[in-house]
Amino acid sequence: MEAAIRVVGVSKLYRRYGRRRSVGSLKSALLSSWGSRALSPDAAVPALTEVSFEVAAGESVGVVGANGSGKSTLLKLLAGIVRPTSGRVDVLGRLAALLELGAGFHPEISGRENVEINGLLLGMSRREIAARFEEIVRFAGIEEFLDAPVKTYSSGMAVRLGFAIAAHSDPDVLLVDEVLAVGDEAFAHRCLEKFSEFERAGKTLVFVSHDLALVSARCRRAIWLDRGRIASDGPAAETVARYRESVAREEGDARLSAGLVASAGRIGSGRAVLEAVRLRNGEGRETRRLRSGEAASVEMAVRAAEPLSDFVFGVAIATVSGAPVLGVNTEADGLLPGELSGEARVVLEIPALDLAPGLYSLDAAVHARGGAPYDYRRDVLRFEVSAERACLGVWSPKRRWRGEGGVRWSR
Amino acid sequence: MIAPLSRTLQQRALVAALTRRELVARYRGGVLGFLWSMANPLLLLAVYAFVFQFVFAPRADVRPYALFLFAGVLVWGFVSSALLDAAETFRNNGPLLRKTTVAPEVFPAVAVGARLAHLLLALPVLAAATLFAAARGSVAPGRAALELPAVLALLVLAVFGLALAVSALAVHFADVRDLVANLLTLAFFATPVLYPVEAVPERFRPWLRGNPFTAFLTAVHDSAFFFRPVAAADWLWMAGTAAVCLAVGSAVFERLRDSIAEEA
Repeated sequence: MEAAIRVVGVSKLYRRYGRRRSVGSLKSALLSSWGSRALSPDAAVPALTEVSFEVAAGESVGVVGANGSGKSTLLKLLAGIVRPTSGRVDVLGRLAALLELGAGFHPEISGRENVEINGLLLGMSRREIAARFEEIVRFAGIEEFLDAPVKTYSSGMAVRLGFAIAAHSDPDVLLVDEVLAVGDEAFAHRCLEKFSEFERAGKTLVFVSHDLALVSARCRRAIWLDRGRIASDGPAAETVARYRESVAREEGDARLSAGLVASAGRIGSGRAVLEAVRLRNGEGRETRRLRSGEAASVEMAVRAAEPLSDFVFGVAIATVSGAPVLGVNTEADGLLPGELSGEARVVLEIPALDLAPGLYSLDAAVHARGGAPYDYRRDVLRFEVSAERACLGVWSPKRRWRGEGGVRWSR
Repeated sequence: MIAPLSRTLQQRALVAALTRRELVARYRGGVLGFLWSMANPLLLLAVYAFVFQFVFAPRADVRPYALFLFAGVLVWGFVSSALLDAAETFRNNGPLLRKTTVAPEVFPAVAVGARLAHLLLALPVLAAATLFAAARGSVAPGRAALELPAVLALLVLAVFGLALAVSALAVHFADVRDLVANLLTLAFFATPVLYPVEAVPERFRPWLRGNPFTAFLTAVHDSAFFFRPVAAADWLWMAGTAAVCLAVGSAVFERLRDSIAEEA
């Protein structure tokens, strides 16, 4: 298939001018021979380095990477808003770039007038805008507010209108930069439907997102940019998994080096102490990264200052945003305390960790039966679960779909 | 060489829509709406008429002087406000430039277009005042007035050329706006806006003729006040000025064009 986008050896240097000269003066430029000194930058910051890839017509490609990795620069280069310092960018067909929803809206004028201007900005002709006007307004759901100035719109309404216009500009290539993060669930759903429609119509879609689940669900292919270079380019699930691993590794390193692991939220009398809490995968290796459905175990190394006959071990898992996922302890699971003395190891084994992909936080505790903690370690470790298939929520059980009667899937 | 001009023409629907937006946004909410754009020149005309009737002795060589002044000030107002707007247009439209694929030429074109619209809205006031003066026998309108649109067309081209250069330079140099403002103040007096060329002593006239805008203002006064055909030399001056301004403006703009979206 023909390439809709061809990027060949593209590098982009952003010029950074000295702080005091961030905007130079014409006088100084004229005094120091026209255009040579004042226009020459103090330093160049590479935003992209030697990036090459092709996107076939009809392909959906997600671009992932940390902030500052060059994702937005890449979209701007594809859109032709900035020029590459070296290399070439070719885009075939009509292009629409959605780098910021409602970028062209003027607050003082009505939604109706803004639709027209935004459409023209996206390269539609006046006739095309008139023909699709009704549809755009319906998609955005702003019928009643059409003649009110946009400054009276809620941010959600403005976002919906911005997306509606771009989605109806009928481009061959659509570039989208992290715009679905705003807007409510229902709207995000409609946007995704529009993307699917796009795909079916054989249009090319490139979109930047921090929502990795969305990228792996939406795109067959993903590109991971790391500090301006392509770190990985391939099937979305693979690329996303690699990117996740790298993030988790860096986060883990950062936490360890900052000494956060040992002291994050620890309370208790200290009659028994959790000296170490380890997470192991199915092969028994210590890890912070697990695959959904894999076996896992939590190991607590404990030391009792004096022999104890009243003790309960507990493990809790929550999402990093704090939603509880699991809370178990030895007492609730039917183990009555006998004696705890000296050093010991207590292991919680989970044959299949059916968690949805995401970041989780783990608490471990040893406490008295009434709940009084000996050593309660909140957020003692964090781990990441990855999965081939995206899913929302926290539970990702083994599953399959069946269809009966007049339903059929093409793949 | 005239790539910015041809790109602007390709985008004329957008330029027109953005120009309309400028005007609508400026007057929306006001009770009088677009009437404001006429109120301003009307007020100006009333002040001139009063001042030169009752305060200052009007010039004897151009009567009614208030009308002469009014025509000149309207046209000069277009030139100076268009260039000042052009100096700020990229700063004001930064988000649009960075986030959409719009051609940057569009913005200086809108700056000129919006000010041109103001001028065109003020022309009926000028026409009415002229008819009023004609009814009292102080001017005798003639066919030469039909040359005014051509004069204004050449002026718009020249101003657009300058606006291209000014807008692109202003992105890189903070002092461009101040520089332009000062030059415009100087040019206001060094251009026959307030006086006819003939009022200047013979020995200074070559200097005055060297100012490219002299021909434009002379032509405006000739066609719209004295109602005599514009001199061939002035046509040449105007056409030459328009061509040079467009060429230089386009060259400067093209050189800086790629960096506009990055620096604005």
